[in-house]
Amino acid sequence: MPGIGPRTAQRLALHLLRQPEERVRSFADAMLAAKSQVGQCQKCFHLSADPICEICRNEGRDSEFLCVVADSRDLLALERTKEFKGLYHVLGGLISPMDGVGPEILNVSSLVKRVDADDVDEVILALTPSVEGDTTSLYLARLLKPFTKVSRIAYGLPVGGELEYADEVTLTRALEGRQTLG
Amino acid sequence: MTEKRLLITGPNGAGKTNLLEAIELLGSLRSHRCSRDSDLIHWNQERALLRALSCEDETLELELRRKGGRQAKRNEKVLSRQFDLIGPLRCVGFSSLDLELVRGQPALRRQWLDRVVQQLEPIYSDLISRYSRLLRQRSQLWRRWRNKPANERDAILDAFDLQMALVSTRIHRRRSRALRHLQPLVAHWQKMISNGKEKLELVYYPGSKLKGEEAEEPWRLDIQDQLLDQRLDEERLGSCRVGPHRDEVGLLLNGLEARRFASSGQQRTLILSLKLAELDLVEQMSGLPPILLLDDVLAELDAKRQLLLLEVAGEKHQCIVTATHLDAFQGEWMRESQLLETKSFSSKGSVG
Ligand SMILES: [Zn+2]
Repeated sequence: MPGIGPRTAQRLALHLLRQPEERVRSFADAMLAAKSQVGQCQKCFHLSADPICEICRNEGRDSEFLCVVADSRDLLALERTKEFKGLYHVLGGLISPMDGVGPEILNVSSLVKRVDADDVDEVILALTPSVEGDTTSLYLARLLKPFTKVSRIAYGLPVGGELEYADEVTLTRALEGRQTLG
Repeated sequence: MTEKRLLITGPNGAGKTNLLEAIELLGSLRSHRCSRDSDLIHWNQERALLRALSCEDETLELELRRKGGRQAKRNEKVLSRQFDLIGPLRCVGFSSLDLELVRGQPALRRQWLDRVVQQLEPIYSDLISRYSRLLRQRSQLWRRWRNKPANERDAILDAFDLQMALVSTRIHRRRSRALRHLQPLVAHWQKMISNGKEKLELVYYPGSKLKGEEAEEPWRLDIQDQLLDQRLDEERLGSCRVGPHRDEVGLLLNGLEARRFASSGQQRTLILSLKLAELDLVEQMSGLPPILLLDDVLAELDAKRQLLLLEVAGEKHQCIVTATHLDAFQGEWMRESQLLETKSFSSKGSVG
C-alpha cells in the first residue's frame, strides 16, 4: 500500500486479524463493492459510483467555470480548499511521450466537446508545473482558445511539487492568482 | 577537520573517491562521476544517506532513495527545494576526470561550466534538469510517434518549443555570463603559470544563434523560430539541432584551439588555470573560500604545478586530497594536515 511503511503495515495486519470474522468479511465486501461499483463519471471522469458524479449533479455549482486536473487525487485536493465552486474535468494523466501517453488516450476530445457544447466562460488548467504538466497545459490552451478563455493557476508551489501535497492555503492563493494563457 | 588539509591515502577501491564524492554531492547536489542516483546507492540497499556537520553546528543531510527521489534536510528540517541545501558547503572538485577537459568531448566542458554556474546560482540545477527532461521527451516523441499524423505531432512539438525556447535562453545567458566572469581570472592564472608566455581565452559557441545584446524576450522568440526551422532536419536525424545541449566552450591558447594545438604540458597548465579561476570566482560570488577537493590528481601534476597549487590554494582553502601513496605529495602538502589512511576491505591487511 502506498504511503504505508512495514511497521504500520504490520500493525494494520495484526489489527485486522484480531477483529471478529463478520467485521473482516464486511470490510472485504466493502472493498470489493468499491472496486466493482466505482467507475468514472461520464461527464467529468472523476471517480464515481453513479453514472454522473455528485459534483456534476450539484446544481449549486457554477457550471461556467471548468477546472482541468490530471487525476481524481488533484480534484480532491482542490475540493478540500472549498474555494472552487465550478465543475471539473479529469484528464486521466499528462502528455508524456516517454511513457507513451498522448492526447488520444487522455480525456481530451471529451473536454473539447464539453467546452464547445456547454456554456463555459473560463477553463482553468490546474496541472502540476512539471515538463509534462506544462506541455499538457500549452497543448490544451491552444486547443481550447477558439471556444473560451483559458487560464492557468499560478503556482507558488515548490518546483516539481505535486498538487496533492500542496497545502490548502497555497492552493487557494494559486486559484486566486491564475493567469490567462495564450 | 581540524587542520587546513585532510590527506587521504589508501589503495584503489578503499573508498577514497567515495568520501570525496559524498562531499561534492552535499555541496553541489551533483556527482561528477554518476548522473543517476541509483548508481550511488549500494546494490542491495534501498537508500543512501549523506550527512555533514559544519563547524557552525549546521547539519546537512541528503538522502538518496531508489523510490521517491531525494530528500534534503538542513538542521533536521526537510527542505521543499533541494537546492536550498547548497551554500554552507561550497566546494570545487578537481579529479583525474578533469584532465580530459581540454581534449575530451564538448559535453565535458559543458558539465564543467554547469558546475561553476550552479555554485554561483543554485536554482540553475532546476533549469538543467528541466531542459534535459524536455530533450528526452522530445527524442522519445520522435522515436515513438513517428507515424502519427504530422499535425498532431506538431501540436505537441509546439508545446515543447515554447518551453525549450525559454529554458534555453536562460541557460545560454547564465553560461555566457559565467564565462565572461571566468575570462579575466583564467587569463591571469595562465599568464602567471606560463611566466607571461601564454594567453588563454574562453569563447562561448552557443548551440542556438544568439543575436544582438543579451535580452530574454528577443532571444527566446528567436530560438523558438530556430526550433521550428530545424524540425524537418530533426525529423530526419531524430535529434534536436538547436539549444544549449549543443553548446561548446572554446579554449584558445595564444589564439589557437587548445584542443588541437596545445602540448600535453600546456593542457595541464590550462586545466590548472581553469580550476584556480573556478576557486576565485566561487569565492568572489559567495564571499567564502570554497573547499578544494583533489581526487587522485596530484600525482598527475609535476612538482612545479603541485607547488603552485599549494601556494595559491593551500593557504586560503581547506583541501581534501586523495592519493594512493603518500609520496604523491610533493613539498609542503603534508604540513598543517591530517592524515587518514583507508584500507581496502578485500585486501589482507594494512597497507604501509
Ligand atoms: Zn462528474
